[in-house]
Amino acid sequence: MSAPVTRREFLNLLGATGGTAAVLRAGTALGLLPGAAQAANLDLLNLAGNQRRVAILGGGISGLTVAYELEKMGYECTILESSARCGGRIFTVRSGDLIDEIGNRQYCEFDNESHMYFNAGAARIPSTHRTLLNYCKELGVELEVFINESKTCYVQDDAMLDGRPITNIEYTTHLKGFMGELLAKALTETELNEPFSEREAEALLNIVDSFGDLNEEHLYTGSLRAGYASDGFLKHGTQKDIIAFRDLLKTRLGRGLINANEGDTGPILLQPVGGMDKITEGFLRQVGHRVRYRAMVAGVEVTDDGVKVAYDQDGTRHILDVDYCFNCIPSHLMTGIPNNFPAEYVRALKYIRRGEAYKAAFQAKRRFWEEEDIYGGITWMNNPSRQIWYPTAGIHKEKGIVLGAYDYGGGMYHTLMTQQQRIEAHLADGEKVHSDYRNLVEKPITIAWHRMNHMLGCSARWSRNFGDGWTHEEEELYHTLQAPVNGRHYMIGDQVSQHSAWQESAVLSARWAMADLDQRVRSELA
Amino acid sequence: MEFLMSQSKYSLLKTLIVTLLAASSVNVSSAAESEREPFDDRYCTTCHGIDGIGNEGVQAPRLAGMEDWYLRRQLEGFRSGLRGRHPEDIEGLAMQPMAAKLTDESISDIVQWVGSWEYKPTEITLAGDADAGRTLYATCATCHGANGEGNEALGAPQLAGQNDWYLLTQLKNFKARFRGYQSGDTYGQQMMAMAQSLNSDQAMLNVVAYINTLFRD
Repeated sequence: MSAPVTRREFLNLLGATGGTAAVLRAGTALGLLPGAAQAANLDLLNLAGNQRRVAILGGGISGLTVAYELEKMGYECTILESSARCGGRIFTVRSGDLIDEIGNRQYCEFDNESHMYFNAGAARIPSTHRTLLNYCKELGVELEVFINESKTCYVQDDAMLDGRPITNIEYTTHLKGFMGELLAKALTETELNEPFSEREAEALLNIVDSFGDLNEEHLYTGSLRAGYASDGFLKHGTQKDIIAFRDLLKTRLGRGLINANEGDTGPILLQPVGGMDKITEGFLRQVGHRVRYRAMVAGVEVTDDGVKVAYDQDGTRHILDVDYCFNCIPSHLMTGIPNNFPAEYVRALKYIRRGEAYKAAFQAKRRFWEEEDIYGGITWMNNPSRQIWYPTAGIHKEKGIVLGAYDYGGGMYHTLMTQQQRIEAHLADGEKVHSDYRNLVEKPITIAWHRMNHMLGCSARWSRNFGDGWTHEEEELYHTLQAPVNGRHYMIGDQVSQHSAWQESAVLSARWAMADLDQRVRSELA
Repeated sequence: MEFLMSQSKYSLLKTLIVTLLAASSVNVSSAAESEREPFDDRYCTTCHGIDGIGNEGVQAPRLAGMEDWYLRRQLEGFRSGLRGRHPEDIEGLAMQPMAAKLTDESISDIVQWVGSWEYKPTEITLAGDADAGRTLYATCATCHGANGEGNEALGAPQLAGQNDWYLLTQLKNFKARFRGYQSGDTYGQQMMAMAQSLNSDQAMLNVVAYINTLFRD
């Protein structure tokens, strides 16, 4: 299936493709493109003895999905993975693991225990991501609930209350109280004949009273919802002091706090027990024998009847000759690999910008957050480290892994620092919330996705104007990249979706491509 | 053929290292370390493209065909921070930490590795007024040669066949004093001074457009 090839032969191979390139067709011309529904309900034809060879470039979850589904149907798949592990941005870091940031390599020094892991990439699965969840079920990946919001976590901003952290429940209770009071005033002080009937106005006022925990005069005077100042069990709980509305408005964090459990993180969130890469392992139990590791793709040539893939492994250049190719190499790396893709396809590859997300984690010497009533959840800070995540895993054990920073994009602040500067920044940010933080955590790791070997970026960014949505041109480029080249080569991964950064999108992009392939194979075999 | 040989030597070396690491596992204290994923410094192609062809997607220029003396000087410059430290030099900032930890041996190894890649002119992506650029290029030709072929004696690298988007970025960086501003960077300082004669972005684009017409075989 693969044979060594000299560099000269390889160049000749690529050089001789001018004629072929001219006949490369976009999938749209064939009118075969499947809809989203077909990706959700994949119904592939079993080859029943007919041979079809498939190359899968990249062992990310979309590539693994293709291998898993097509192998079941009798296709012969080969996965070329450039690094030493599959999973891509599903990356769980444990004791001894290499974090291969170019220029800043680290080995993780966490204690070697099953709950001492850090999901450095994908970390949450919304319960609405049903395709991914079905794979977890099918592959025997045990799941548990991920605690995304715990109201006992903190909110901290130097601009608010002299930087004193307050609990999320205090902040949001008071905020809702004052917002409720304002709304109630608007409802009671204006003529309510329009737009509400008296009955509707009464019903709404009722909801507003409950929303803000207002008193009978529809005023906010504090609430026991914010937690007790003291007692609460054998004696009645006492109410905490109210925090002035003005003070609450000194931080901009309220905006994020008020919708933390909506949108993508609205559904119940789940995680695999023991680390996100249990999903990768689940796929590899089925198709692991199909993976060639440290195999770096060196060229892709689409021909009339197949795809030739050159790759470097063990110091030798090989050629893999296949019928079809599914490619989840990040678009910004694919542009540095010789290919004979149509110009418009290359333009789409070049258009996508790479994400800059950054995470850091510490090993905690003891689970100090549990002493402060925190079990999981997120503390929000108005500083570059942005968030502290307390682990769902390992409740009441001695130690745990905390996320010390999560910059989910839009800046290279930490990426541009040295390792020492990054760690110091997270310690300084964290001790504003937990005063003894510096002494409570150790063994830091940082993951700057923009610099990770074989990755050089986090999730794809298609839209140049995030707030305004996609332009017509961006939609066009997206559809160009989604359609196969010559019905033979498919780009896949969350980069070929309109909702990047989620595993569900990666898995669905793979299934969309397979649904397209299936129609072609069916018509061939008919 | 030479390419294949250098690759094989490399893989032999890697095997040797892995074997040595495995052998050291007899020593109990380093048992865990022997299981660690080994790494090496040959990560250039992640950014700079297969066989160093350059990658516009991450703004990393072509290395294939680059003169060994120039490549070594730049790697050493990045390593010491003479290049790639200015906060506005976005691409340089990405390269600098990647070179910071290279040993002399690693640099020699990389230079040799890059030398095994064949010169292959890059794709032309920019359009400018090449005729206007020809006039402006007369100054450049003094050091870089009439055909953009470079001049080792003057420390001036080959320009012909380099990625045009890279040349433009570097001209802008020199002009804005993001590159070549440090006193230890003799050649960079010269180039920074020369770049001041280009009065506009359009002038720089025109020069690059002219360089695009030079020796590309």
